[in-house]
Amino acid sequence: MKIPRLTTLAPIAVLVVLALFPLIGIPLSWLNYLFSFFIYLALANMWNLLAGYTGLICLCPHAFVGLAGYTLAIGTQVGMPFQVGLIAGAAVAAVFALVISYPVFRMKGIYFAIGTLVLPEVLKQWFNYWQPVGTAYQGGGAGYSVVGLAGFSLENKYWLALAIAAAAIFLVYIILRSKLGLGLTAIRDNENTAASSGVNIFRLKLISFLIAAFIMGIAGAAYFIHNPKIQPAGGFGISWLLLPLMATVIGGEGTEEGPIIGAAIVTFLRFLLADYGAWSLFIQGIILVVVVVALPQGIAGLLRQVGAYHLPQKLYQAAKARIHRT
Amino acid sequence: MSDTAVLSVEGVSKSFGGIHAIQNVTFEVRAGEVLGLMGPNGAGKTTLLNLIAGVYRPDSGRILFQGKNITRYPPHKICHVGIARTFQIPQPFTDLMVRDNLMVAAKYGNKRGVTLELDEILDLVDLLKQKDTTAGDLATVSLKRLELARALASNPTLILLDEVAAGSTEAELPRILDITKQVRKMGKTIILVEHVMKVMVEAVDRIVVIDKGEKIAEGTPGEVMEDEKVLAAYFG
Repeated sequence: MKIPRLTTLAPIAVLVVLALFPLIGIPLSWLNYLFSFFIYLALANMWNLLAGYTGLICLCPHAFVGLAGYTLAIGTQVGMPFQVGLIAGAAVAAVFALVISYPVFRMKGIYFAIGTLVLPEVLKQWFNYWQPVGTAYQGGGAGYSVVGLAGFSLENKYWLALAIAAAAIFLVYIILRSKLGLGLTAIRDNENTAASSGVNIFRLKLISFLIAAFIMGIAGAAYFIHNPKIQPAGGFGISWLLLPLMATVIGGEGTEEGPIIGAAIVTFLRFLLADYGAWSLFIQGIILVVVVVALPQGIAGLLRQVGAYHLPQKLYQAAKARIHRT
Repeated sequence: MSDTAVLSVEGVSKSFGGIHAIQNVTFEVRAGEVLGLMGPNGAGKTTLLNLIAGVYRPDSGRILFQGKNITRYPPHKICHVGIARTFQIPQPFTDLMVRDNLMVAAKYGNKRGVTLELDEILDLVDLLKQKDTTAGDLATVSLKRLELARALASNPTLILLDEVAAGSTEAELPRILDITKQVRKMGKTIILVEHVMKVMVEAVDRIVVIDKGEKIAEGTPGEVMEDEKVLAAYFG
């Protein structure tokens, strides 16, 4: 008997089961947490593509999320269907990434990180004063509601987020097995050698950056379809950076399964610590520090070290050996 | 070997904040030859390689490759036209396997249509058995060879070798000489920067000597070794 190809079957099975959840009547709070999980998953996967595989410590996911959210909200205010607003939001995030790419790619390492960190702050200030359409729901040109969502149920939102997360994971899977992935890993390992081996560093970083901005944008916009109010402080809030960063670092940067493990942990922590307010950030911070110090490769690195991935095969072989004996 | 110049460096200068690293250096590399680049520590040999490789842009002068002006090309375009280089201190893709280190150069650097057998290159530099090893786990001697293998993988016409023998023991030298000769047999033109005099004398056709950023001598190894300026630069 041949072992079924677990690596291809398992993800499809998980996807089908997750897609069936809303139909078998699981509690609404579960759907809500799973929705958050999918959004974090998409964000963390893209953050990992940049930090773990391209060597870009990008500290501006909240710029992409906020821009996409505002595009969605303002778009629906002026009569755009929200489905169009979702794509438009992601496109605006990608265009923003394109515009900032030239100046920020001139900086390397930590300087790139700092350079990207200031961008969302600028955008936050801008959206505090800018009021492109008349019906801000609070303050002078600050907050907007996403409208025109009638009939788009929680189940639909859940499936949308699931689709985005699955697409993000699949995209990284494809990229890593392509010529692009090889080039990106080369850049991460050694920029000088990559350049002298013929890799056009600027172009590859840009492609990776645009893909990440687009997917982060669409994930952010999907969040604001579920939570249809956006303000500068929330849309450009730093938690949009901390969530994917924590998920990636805890799970294991530069591994494919890392962001998935990490996003699950971050979501579960949010669920556990929901009643503790500011303490939850404190506790998450401590966990982050402990992981960075004790497990520099994250949980995925630990699992690889102890050989956990070969466990199913070992169990199967052990079972087979026993059957043969009896 | 023919007399046509593959690479012409014409009056190239480069300063770093008032320090004249390279001053008005002119030389040619002919098709199929091995040109040695020699000079005391800090003479500017590596700077010169970096100027050719596109890492630095010259302040003045120009660099022609096969008649094409490549003076302001960035490093990846230099690789695309057919110039590959090794680094003095090995700079591998540490997390990639040995074979994938070559794959990067083969997929991104080789724009000249011929696909190379990466295993043959690995065999040439004695790394075939370690092709699935992570490059970061290799010993220094092997890393030096990986540098050469990666450079070859982009199928270059001209290859810039920055001290391939440095750090090797006396016993390893013959093998390095042998590898250099085989690379030459593949039809590659080579610029060899080397401190190890034995390698220099045995492997090269001509030598260009630079000191304090200026070319002070050029000729066959025999001619250069008897040149007064060269002796003065080395022995004071």
